Amino acid sequence: MQTITRLLKREKRGISTVIVVMLSLVLIVMIVGNVVLWSYQMNQVDLERTQETLTLANVTRTEPTGISMDIKNTGAISLHIVAVWVTNSTMHQRYDADVFLNAGESTTYNRTDIEVPQNAFLAKVVTERGNLAVFSES
Amino acid sequence: MKKFFKRFLRDKRAITPVLSHLLLTVVAVAIMSLATSATFVITTNLRQTMGERVVVEDVWFNSSAGTVDVFMRNVGKADVQVSGVYVNHVGQSFNGNASRLQVNKQGWLSIACSWEAGKAYYIDIVTNRGTHIADYYKAP
Repeated sequence: MQTITRLLKREKRGISTVIVVMLSLVLIVMIVGNVVLWSYQMNQVDLERTQETLTLANVTRTEPTGISMDIKNTGAISLHIVAVWVTNSTMHQRYDADVFLNAGESTTYNRTDIEVPQNAFLAKVVTERGNLAVFSES
Repeated sequence: MKKFFKRFLRDKRAITPVLSHLLLTVVAVAIMSLATSATFVITTNLRQTMGERVVVEDVWFNSSAGTVDVFMRNVGKADVQVSGVYVNHVGQSFNGNASRLQVNKQGWLSIACSWEAGKAYYIDIVTNRGTHIADYYKAP
């Protein structure tokens, strides 16, 4: 062991190669680590999005104006509703919303500022993760 | 002290090894900084490409304007720029505030293309990093 250490201490050849390999390894580890970490984070985002499910059970017009929506979180994670859409053949209107629902929770969401068409329409709610629930009123 | 300096200035021996070492150090530092910058650029680009997520909230076959309007929202972790729109694999012109979307922002993208009621259209929106947001939509 001592002989090897002495030899290594005396031998100066190949030092630069070792240093270059070490620095390259550091760079490679940096790149791979960064990409793997980011990939893991994005996989988490996608997984959460697939786990999120919600239903728009019923939508009714309220008097004199407005809308009432029965929303249920049927998924295993809580969700955040960020928008409500009311559409028909002549108008597609988006309204900002801010509703949080825990897993398995239901709520009736009332809005008086939403104009609902008298004829057939489609109502949609959109979550922050980008999932939609649709209800068709004919 | 003066004597030391005089001797140091007069003595020309071992100048070449010092210079060569100095040059080698400069070259090594330059190459390493170049490699580090390249690493940073490569990983940033990869992260941005992997972090692109866009959802289509609504598609409106607008009969009054004669366009197909797509409402998009950026739910990813990188800003998005739309570079091309294809309807049934044919490139179409487009405009609207959704052609550039920051993180958590949304907007309409108006596609100038004629459509017929009852027909299904394959709308493919491509970002400048190559992400495709594509699906079939039926005109009402």
